[in-house]
Amino acid sequence: MRRFLSDYGMALVLLLLGIYYSVVTFALQDPSGASGGEQLAREVLARLGPSARVLLVTRDTREDIAFADAARKHLEAAGVQLVGDVRGRPYDARAELERLVAAGGKLDAIAANQVTGSWAVLRHVSTRFPQLGEVPVVTPPRYWWPNFLKADNLRNIADQIVIIAILAAGMTFVVITGGIDLSVGSLIALSAVTATLLIRDVAGAEAATTGGMIGACLAAVALCGLCGLFSGAMVTFFQVPAFIVTLAMMLVARGLASEVSNGASIYQVPASFLWLGGGADLFSVPNGVVLMIVLYIAADVVMTRMTLGRYIYAIGGNAEAARLSGVPVRRVLLLVYALSGGLAGVGGVVMASRLRSGAPTYGLMYELYAIAAVVVGGTSLSGGEGKIFGTLIGAFIIAVIKNGMNLTGVTPFRQEVVFGVVLLGAVLLDRLKGRLRLRAKPQASKSS
Amino acid sequence: MTTKCLCLTMVALAGLLAAGCAEDKAAPTRPVIGLSVLTLTNPFFQEIADNMQKEAAKHGYDVVVVSGEFDAARQQNQVKDFIVQKAAAIVLCPCDSKAVGPAIREAHDAGIAVFTCDIACLASESQFVVTHIATDNYAGGKQAAHALLEALGDTGGKIAILDYRAAESCLLRVAGFKEVIRAHNRGGGARVEIVAELPCGGVKDQGYKAAEDLVQAHPDLAGIFAINDPSALGARAALEKADKDDQVKIVGFDGQPEGKQAIQQGKIYADPVQYPDRIGRETARIIARYFEGEKVPPQILIPTGLYRGKN
Repeated sequence: MRRFLSDYGMALVLLLLGIYYSVVTFALQDPSGASGGEQLAREVLARLGPSARVLLVTRDTREDIAFADAARKHLEAAGVQLVGDVRGRPYDARAELERLVAAGGKLDAIAANQVTGSWAVLRHVSTRFPQLGEVPVVTPPRYWWPNFLKADNLRNIADQIVIIAILAAGMTFVVITGGIDLSVGSLIALSAVTATLLIRDVAGAEAATTGGMIGACLAAVALCGLCGLFSGAMVTFFQVPAFIVTLAMMLVARGLASEVSNGASIYQVPASFLWLGGGADLFSVPNGVVLMIVLYIAADVVMTRMTLGRYIYAIGGNAEAARLSGVPVRRVLLLVYALSGGLAGVGGVVMASRLRSGAPTYGLMYELYAIAAVVVGGTSLSGGEGKIFGTLIGAFIIAVIKNGMNLTGVTPFRQEVVFGVVLLGAVLLDRLKGRLRLRAKPQASKSS
Repeated sequence: MTTKCLCLTMVALAGLLAAGCAEDKAAPTRPVIGLSVLTLTNPFFQEIADNMQKEAAKHGYDVVVVSGEFDAARQQNQVKDFIVQKAAAIVLCPCDSKAVGPAIREAHDAGIAVFTCDIACLASESQFVVTHIATDNYAGGKQAAHALLEALGDTGGKIAILDYRAAESCLLRVAGFKEVIRAHNRGGGARVEIVAELPCGGVKDQGYKAAEDLVQAHPDLAGIFAINDPSALGARAALEKADKDDQVKIVGFDGQPEGKQAIQQGKIYADPVQYPDRIGRETARIIARYFEGEKVPPQILIPTGLYRGKN
């Protein structure tokens, strides 16, 4: 029980959160897509019979077209006469209704999905078009399901945390060595601006090739890696506290980003640049999420299977002892800070891709969210312990809380208060865990 | 014992979250309009939101208000959340006129009608915006120029502009202002010369610094046009310190309560006034009309009024 709690306590919190939000966002859902269309057809037939004159109203989105095609197929198969099939915006529906009135046609029902059914033009059809008679709007029967647990929403949560999670992976390395990296938020801006600037000025702006874009992004990541390396050098060779070095780097990087971009957004990039942050090629999992998972697996391998990982823990536990036992402390520290910078660069590229532009204002306060994810994930700020996947769980806890508060309509200011309290709670938990371990038997303490 | 403590903390943690989330949970059965503003720390946007909410309620819509707080990525996430919630319409005051493009695209592809208010989308996705509702900033800038010419009287003189180039709305204000000044000079009145255009960030402290430098460089300055109230008030403070407050006339922009009070006290000559309440109401009305099946115009500009206090 104790071991379970101290190792997986945060996973449990995440689970509880998920359950909580599933309960409070329980709401009526509307069938969509082809199956929704089929249900609609059955509903129309049940209520009005096959002799009804029906107007079908949907939008022209992919989901709605499948819905309308299925409904149409089933209705016509049952012998229902469709007097019209609108696929568009509210004024298309209105134009069709006006056409019907002018032609002196009659209507028994309007078949719609929940969205088009809520359009005022359809809700008020009996008062606006009395010539058509009393026309009911038929929609498919609704069912109960939590908003939180909808596939779209779960995909959203994962997608929204990608950038912070990538930063947090690098931050975990740094924090485990006992340091901190405050520059990552600004490095996002520097990376986004550099990548878009290179695409605009070197790779040929909107006409840039895929190779050119990849080159620009790699250059941006490399630049951020160098910034991290510089911070690392200051920490190792001059013993400047990491807090101060990275604070300075935070100012320098954002200043540089503003300088080279002239303070404005750079948006002259090809539309295909959206692929990394906005595409979803693998089983409709967003590409950014795939990248995040790959990076986390790689980071976990480094931390648990490779000598480098052991060195990192050793340095965080006691740098002097690590040095005496032959750990190349300086090289490892340099590498760790460079990695953190490089991962921030990757985060910046993802953000630039997602917003299809780069601006020096990106990534404000993101370093704090990254640190929060690391701490909530159970990594101790005093160094020496922590888990990569703990950080991922921490990032997801943050994402779930934010998403849940948005879904339940908590005001933006209150969201920040709740968020701060959660962070505090996580640190408190960390303290209690420490006490727990002190009291536990020796063999239990080894297992962490 | 400690295990119990640990469990208790975790339960408490979950409870806290529950407390944070348990409110405003009136299940919205009415169609929802999602509004994401630039920032809620500026009363201007609060007023847009409040009036949109009130007006939309009359037409049978609920408005959910969130704020991007100048973070384009955060605003994009809010749009994604609105899509999952199946909002009927989304209204944006973009945090970044260019970076807002992909979010608008995504909402449009999900079949949601997108409107912008106060700040326009300048990316190619602006074609997907149903209607843009904003202050007529260009005409407002002209109004400011007429007010400043009136304040200078027959003597003319040197004037300066405190601008903010990141915002499209402020660029329009300055463009309108300059056009009137050019026309005035061609018309052969007492010559008015724009001697400087300095950035002021639209905030008090930078307006203060810019005005301080201005009176050093041009001791005979006669007028200042500041693109909003905070920068105008900052400039006024600098002029008072340099004992130039009688010599230099200021025209601001916005007409927020603090600006109006300064005009009443004679500290600022006049303000073209924006009407955030009307922007909010007009947006709600346009959305209602759109869902009634009317063709709505791509742009609605709300004219400014000139506020001149006792002058």
